[in-house]
Parts: sequence; C-alpha cells; structure tokens
Amino acid sequence: MTSTPAPPAVKRGTPFQLPALPRLIRFALLIALDVAVFWLLNRLASLGYYPLMAAVLIITLFVNFVLIRREAYPLRWMLIGLIMMGLFTIYPIIFTVWVAFTNYGEGHLITKKQAIDQILDLTYLPSSGKAYSWTAFRSDEGDYALWLIDAEGNAYLAKPDEPLSQPQPGEMGVGPLDARGIPESIEGYRRLNQIQAATDRNLKNIKFGEEGKTIQIRSPSEAAELLPLYVYDPDLDAMINQETGVVYKNLRGTFTSPDGEALRPGFIEYVKFDNFRDFFISPALRGPLLRVVLWNFAFAFFSLLLNFSLGLFIAILFNDPDFPFKKLIRSLLIIPYTVPALITILIWRGMLNPDIGVISRLLYNTIGWSPQWFTDPWWAKIAILLVNLWLSYPYFMLICSGALQSISEEIYAAAEVDGANPWQKFWRITLPLLLVAVGPLLIASFTFNFNNFNLIYLFNAGGPPMAGTPTPAGHTDILISYVYNLAFSGSRGVNYGFASAITIIIFFIVGSITLFQFRYTRMWEEVGENA
Amino acid sequence: MKKLFNIISLLVVLSILLAACGTPATSTPEVEPTTAPETAAPSTAPEPTTPPPTAEPVEPIATLKIWADDTRTPILLDLADEFLAEYNVKLEVEDLGRVQDIRTPMITAAPAGEGPDIFIGVHDWLGALVESGLVAPIDLGDKQDEFVPLALEAFTYTDGKLYGVPYATENLGFFYNTELVPEPPKTWDEVLEIGRKLKAEGKIQYAFAMAGGGYENLPILTAKGGYIFGRDASGAWNPDDVGLDSEGMIAGVKFLADAVKEGLVPATADYETAHSLFETGQAAFLMAGPWALDRIRKSGVPYKVTVFPDNGAPFLGVQGFMVNAFSENILLAQTFLTEYVATEEFMQKIYEAGLRPSAFKSVLARMDDPDLVAMGEAGANAMPMPNIPEMGSVWSAWNNGIALATSGEQTPEEAMKDAANQVRALILGALAGMVNLPGSYQDKVGCGAQWDPACQATAMQKGDDGLYYLTVTLPAGDYEFKVALDGAWTVNYGSDGAQDGPNYALKVEKDGKVTFIYNPETHLVEVKFE
Repeated sequence: MTSTPAPPAVKRGTPFQLPALPRLIRFALLIALDVAVFWLLNRLASLGYYPLMAAVLIITLFVNFVLIRREAYPLRWMLIGLIMMGLFTIYPIIFTVWVAFTNYGEGHLITKKQAIDQILDLTYLPSSGKAYSWTAFRSDEGDYALWLIDAEGNAYLAKPDEPLSQPQPGEMGVGPLDARGIPESIEGYRRLNQIQAATDRNLKNIKFGEEGKTIQIRSPSEAAELLPLYVYDPDLDAMINQETGVVYKNLRGTFTSPDGEALRPGFIEYVKFDNFRDFFISPALRGPLLRVVLWNFAFAFFSLLLNFSLGLFIAILFNDPDFPFKKLIRSLLIIPYTVPALITILIWRGMLNPDIGVISRLLYNTIGWSPQWFTDPWWAKIAILLVNLWLSYPYFMLICSGALQSISEEIYAAAEVDGANPWQKFWRITLPLLLVAVGPLLIASFTFNFNNFNLIYLFNAGGPPMAGTPTPAGHTDILISYVYNLAFSGSRGVNYGFASAITIIIFFIVGSITLFQFRYTRMWEEVGENA
Repeated sequence: MKKLFNIISLLVVLSILLAACGTPATSTPEVEPTTAPETAAPSTAPEPTTPPPTAEPVEPIATLKIWADDTRTPILLDLADEFLAEYNVKLEVEDLGRVQDIRTPMITAAPAGEGPDIFIGVHDWLGALVESGLVAPIDLGDKQDEFVPLALEAFTYTDGKLYGVPYATENLGFFYNTELVPEPPKTWDEVLEIGRKLKAEGKIQYAFAMAGGGYENLPILTAKGGYIFGRDASGAWNPDDVGLDSEGMIAGVKFLADAVKEGLVPATADYETAHSLFETGQAAFLMAGPWALDRIRKSGVPYKVTVFPDNGAPFLGVQGFMVNAFSENILLAQTFLTEYVATEEFMQKIYEAGLRPSAFKSVLARMDDPDLVAMGEAGANAMPMPNIPEMGSVWSAWNNGIALATSGEQTPEEAMKDAANQVRALILGALAGMVNLPGSYQDKVGCGAQWDPACQATAMQKGDDGLYYLTVTLPAGDYEFKVALDGAWTVNYGSDGAQDGPNYALKVEKDGKVTFIYNPETHLVEVKFE
C-alpha cells in the first residue's frame, strides 16, 4: 500500500513504532470517525435518546482508547466483537433492568414531558364561549382570516388581533356568498378548502379575534373560544383544572385527583421496587406458582432424561461398524433436527388433535380409544414430552456419536479381559466417560428446556387450565409462559415493567441452578481424570 | 502486512459506525418539513391563470404518512396520485402486513416520534392507545349520520370522544349445512335436537364444534343472558361489574358442557377442528366470521349464513382509521379522514377489496354478497368488543373457565365463579385485599404523595377481632382522609360509611400517635389519640 517503508527503526522503549504516513492516515481516520460520532451524538441528544447516546459515547471512547493506547493493542482484534456485545447484549440488559424499576407498559408508554404537553393542549369551552364552523382564507403574505358561522347561522369575519365583524357581501371586500353562506372571495385573500387549510401546521395555534376572547380552530369542523383546561404546577408536581379548580397530583405516573379521577395519558415514572413487590405479594405467588415450578423442573428433567437416553441409545447402535444402511438411517434420523421447530410443533399439534388428527384417529380405529391430548392434564404433559423428544433426540444422537468415538477401544479391551459384561461396560465405562464430554451440554440443554417457551406456548398455550386457581394458569405452563400471561394480560394490558422485573427474578433462578450444576460437572471432571 | 491490516480494521470500524449514523442521516429530510410549510406557504400563492386548484409547485407542501394493512394499502396508494395533484399533499402509504401487526409498531414508534400520521386499527386497541395518549380524537361533524351507529359506538371511548373513522365491521355469523339442515333452527335447543337426530342417523359426528373459548361461543352465552362487563349510567363499560359469573353466563356454559357430555360437541375447543368438521360435513353448524368465508367456499360444502338462534349476539370488531396523537399534521390527518375517507366512493372501494360489511350506511345498503348481508344481519345486535384495557384480563380466565366446565373438571357454576374472581383479582392487581386510609396526612408519614390509596405506609393491618388498625405519628394540624379498598379508588367509603361519601375531617391538637380503627361491617373509622 505505502511506498517503500521506512527502515525498521525500532528504538528501545518504543516498540512497534509505525511509519509516519500510515500513522497519519490512521489519525485522520480516527478524527473523521470522532467528528462523525460527535455529529451523531448531537442528533441523538436533540431527539432525546439519552441512553443510546451514552452507549455510543462509551463505545467511541473505548475505540479511541484502543486505537491510541499501546497497551490496549491486543484488544484491537476483539474490538468489533466487543462493540457488538455492548450494543446488542449489555445495552439491552441495562435497559431491561431500568424498565424493571419503572411502570413502563400500556397506559404508561410516553415520557412525563410528552404527557404534560398533551394535557396542557387540552382546552375547554367557557360558559360564555361560542363554537363556530369555519372556513379559512389566506392572503398572499400568508395571513389568515376565518369566516365563522355559529349555531344560529350568524356569520362573522375573524382576523388575528381584530374584533369579530359581521360584514355583508360588498363590505370589507367580502364577495358574494355561496349556497352555504360563505363568501366566494375576500379582497386580498384566497379561499381555501379544508385540506388546503389543514396543510398549515401552524393554523391551530393562530388566535383569531380580540385579546381575551380569542377563537382557535379545534377540529376540521369547529373553531371556538377556547381556554386551556389545565395548568401544570411544577412545585406541586400537579395539574390544576382551570374550570373546576381540582388539583391532580402525580401518583405513580398518573395525574390523579383526590377523588381518584385520573387524567389521561399516564407516563413513565420510576416506581422503585413496586414491580418486585407486586410479584411477591400478588395472588400469582400465593396461587399456582408452586405447581408451575414443580412441573417446570419435571419438564426440564424428564425432557433431558428422555432425549438424552434415546439419543445415546441410537448413537450406541450406530457405533457398531456392522450396522446395515447406517448412513441412510442416520440421515433420516437427523431430519427432525433440520426442520424448524415451529413447524414441527404445529404439525404435532395437528396430528394429535383428538377429532381430526392422524395419530388420534389411528389409535381410535385400531384400539378403539385415544387419549385426550389437549384436555387431560396428564396426557397433555406426556404429549409435550413426546414432542420435545421428537425435536431434541437428534441433537443428543449427534453429540453422543462424536463423544463415543473419543472413548478408547483399549479400555473396553481391558474390561473384557477382566470379564465385564456389556451392561457393566456401559455403566462403568461408557456412561462416565461420555458424561465428561457431554456434561456441560446437558446443563445447557436443561437450562434451555427450563425456559422452553416456544414449545409450551405453541403446542397448547400452557393448557389445559388448572381449576380453582387465583390467577389463570395451565397444567403445562412453565414459569416463563405463566409469567408471560401474567405480565401481558394483567389489568392494564401489556406491562413491560412488571415483565422485566419477573425476567430478572427468573434470571436469578436459572442462574443459580446453572451455577449449582456446574459445580457438579467439575466433580464429574475429577471422576473422569481419576478413571 | 500488519500495517495494512491495521488500516483495514480501522476502516471496518469506521464504516460500521458510519453505517450506524446512516439511519438518522436519511431521516433528516423527514424532520425538515416541520418548518417547510410556513416558508413554502407563500409560494402556493394563486397564479392568476388557475385560481381554485393550487398551481403545482415542485415540492409537496406536506406529507401524510399512513400505516395500512396489505388489503387497504393499494386503495390508499391509488388515491395518492390524485391527492398529490389536487392538494399538493403527498400520501406516503406503508404496508405493515395484517391489521393486527400494526398495533405493536405503533405503540413503540409513536412516542419516539417515528410513527405515522394515520394508521389502521381495530377498535378494541383504544384501551391501550387512549390510556397511553397515542391517539387523537376525531370529530366527524355532520358526517357521523352516514355511519353505522354500532361502528361509531365501538370507536367511542369511555370519555365520550370518537377516536377512529370506521370502515368495516366483522362479527361471527351462523353457518348451517343446507344439505343436512333445510330450515335453520330458531333456538339453541333446536340446534342440539337437529344434531341429535342427524347423529342418530349416522350422518354427522357432532352438531357443531367450539372453535375456541369465549369469543367463538358468545352467541350461545349471550342468548342465555350472559354478559362480560356491565355498563354505567352513561353507557360506558364498567370494569367493576364483571359478568362472567352472571346467571346467564353460567347457563350458557352449562349448555355447552351438557352438549359436550352428550357427545354432540367435541371436548377440544379448536379453530381448525371446528372448521374441518363443518367443511367435511361432519358437523351441521358452525359459528365463523367473514375471514373464514374464503376457505368455506373453497371446501365446497353446501352452506348458508343466517342469524343466531335465540337472538344470540356475537362480538363486533370494527376496523378503522385513527390519528396518531404525536403526528405533526393532526389537523391535516383529521381533515383527510373526514373529507376524503368518510366518503361513499372511498368506502365502496374499501368494501370491494375487503370482504367485510361496510361501516358506511350507503355502501352497506348496496352490499350484494348474500353471505355478507346475512352476516351483517347476524351482527345487527352484536356487542362491540369492550374497548377498555380491563378486557385484557378477561380472555384467558374466561376461556379457561369454559374449558374447565366443558371438560367436566368443574361444574359450570364453579368454573365461572373462579373465572370471574380471577378477572376481578387481575383488574385489582397486586393490591387486592388492601385496606387503606388515603388522605392529606399521608406525606407526613412516609408516602410519596397525599391521597394515595396504594401507599404501603398507610395500609391497615387486620387484627384478631376482625377490625383493621393503623397507627401513625402525626404533627398537629388539620387533615382529611377516606377509606379505600384494594389499593384503588374504585371502592371507597366516606365519613358516613357510604360509598363515595364525604371526607373524614381530623384535627390533631398536638404532635403524637394517632390510631385509626376501621370496621369492615359498618365501613366506619374510629380515631384514637394517645
């Protein structure tokens, strides 16, 4: 790229001294980058995206540090990965934690400033006020005049800062009236139709008529003498109704009157530990949570046991070099793994359908009985495990096949010399050595199944329902699907704050299980080394 | 080599960051027009040659961004050229897929200022949208007489304001197999009677199948007198009156449970099952909406649509155009809807594309599809799906209750009582059961605000004698308070022990401890000073 590089003048104490030109280019690029980021930050600030702004700033500082400081040199090769991790993993986690301490959710989606602006925009028609239908006229200079007609049919001409007048055609430049009593022209002005008038965003803000009795456009069909309905008092953090004098105080993200009347809209507000408290004191916890957690563990455990057993069994069969049609059968067996789980789950749902499903019909026609796969609690659980078995055994078959290859034949030979039967060989040699290799994968699989929302939700949505619970819950609901229902069908629609809080709680549950299990794998490793 | 690599890696980083900047860079023009109309306005001044329609300047003076579904997008796009030519306003129509796919993007985009000016939606989103301040009211003026009243009612929120311009309605209709059933039944008992007879003859497997839970079986439940929420004096939905355990609802569920027990209705409630059974002639009846017309017609089953037996009422869903409250063109958006969308011509086009009964009277009157006409008749007494946010708490509890009753695990009474209590608990939220004394003293005892019915610091504790106690330390002064239950104002008692009664007045002579004792029988509070 560069012409003849400078001699490798490596001085003592300053290793890796770069030649001047590439260094210059490098700095020029870095400066260009910083300028670009600075511009981006400016824009983000003007749009009010402060968390994202902070993230971009931190990343830029990090990039500068890595590229300028010599001791950070090795980090350079990780730079892009680290940036991606920051943006797509760490930033969302921080955001989730932040949301868990707010009331963010339907009913509280906008910022306080946005909500205050909206409420301050509300107007009311004072008892002495009048409402009119309006037609706009515009002069070449962009000044407006309104032709107003009140409920009794009286017509008025209104201009900003001038009292209303009632000119007849011919007076004040008013042209002849049309069928609806609106002048076809006014001297110096051009009549606009509703859409032409509405294209001016400022029109709603123009005050027509004299001071104190100003008329504003309220909607496409109405203009009226309007007064602002609310005034915000920052000291009280309250909205005061100008018509009735009622004070609406900020109560956890909603301006609420002493009578409990709430002003719409609500806004995002910090609620401290309320979401966590709500979870721990809610009927959800007193109710079916224990049963849900028990089934959650049972589901994850039995899924793992069944899937691993079948996968291992097939892998051992295929480990026999003399197995006929090995390649063909093995390819066929992998198919369930290659079909998207979403489709497989829906197909199984259809096949198990008691009235029109293939499997149910087959059973019914052959043995005259078929289980109620969706309405019986136990059969529903078995069906879920069956579907999960179908989805996951190829995975274990693959990893077990690989792991089996790594077990040395010599050990088996030695065992045979000692007179071990195949059963003993499996329990004493194959399984312990295999577990060393696949142990971490088993834990990963357990954790995955512990949170296997897709399967539970798509197959039966947690059904069939449990009877007599204080909150809706199903017999096949696992923790994540149960709290999903709780957070997204609570009283005020989707509640992200509550959902985030529960996510954090589940994170600690799953995290501690995983930690506990990794302790155990370390023990397995030691067994393996001793063996 | 190393140097080259350095530079390349730098370039990669730079390009990534530049790409990240790319998005805002392209969005700048969208922001620009905010100020444009004012400066551009004089340029639209009349040219003497063509006075009424504005002369064509190069730049459109405004842009209306519309989010629509795949069926309605082409119609709006057709309109765009005409609109641009006539008013020099650009219509920017974005296709977001199905109607229900518009809700989530709207909720995230609108507060960030990235949303459309106008969007298509269903009326039962209003709970979330209005409470969150995302949708602006619309005033149809005289034109409201041209709309089907039920459709307007559906788009009217509890505050009495209209939040959408409806264009289509949808509700379930009663389908029957004309080969098996020559005359449609008049009562639900007759439905089962016909089913029983045909089953005995071996012609069918079931009378009908449940395609789901509450929504899909509502015409049976309402025919027996069931309801979901009551209405208050002004006709708005009242979330405090949950009707899932009303006598009629239980009777309706019992009807279903008995039919399942008898084998006339399958125990599994499933959309696919219900439709397949009807389409293959295995079930004589079906309750289905206009969205299923296509597949039923394709199946070739001989059918007719008619009104529900016993005058049962289905849910009414209404689709319409709404205005984003964060739009910078609210007046223009509202005007576009009232002047352009609320017209017979446009409503006719939408009807032709959509296979749904129109919400516009004159278009509805000219509707020629006999199935849709029949469906419209079946929906004449339909109940607009409650648009309050509390409806979100109803679905799963309601569906579960019906499933538990029809599977025989619980009696219909037990199942629906449980369901209703679940809904009440969800509506009350986590604080169900709390007895509180909100008042003007609360900020002195550690609450964040006064008059907070959910403040933990003033929650009363139940004593062994069944009375509730609260002791606080108050500085001398005059205070007021009230009793509120469940952490909300919904149930509150005043100094006369009556709901919504007057405030208690409390005079504290000197700083000290004050004990409140609440009697849940009389709803009265006794105050003791130490």
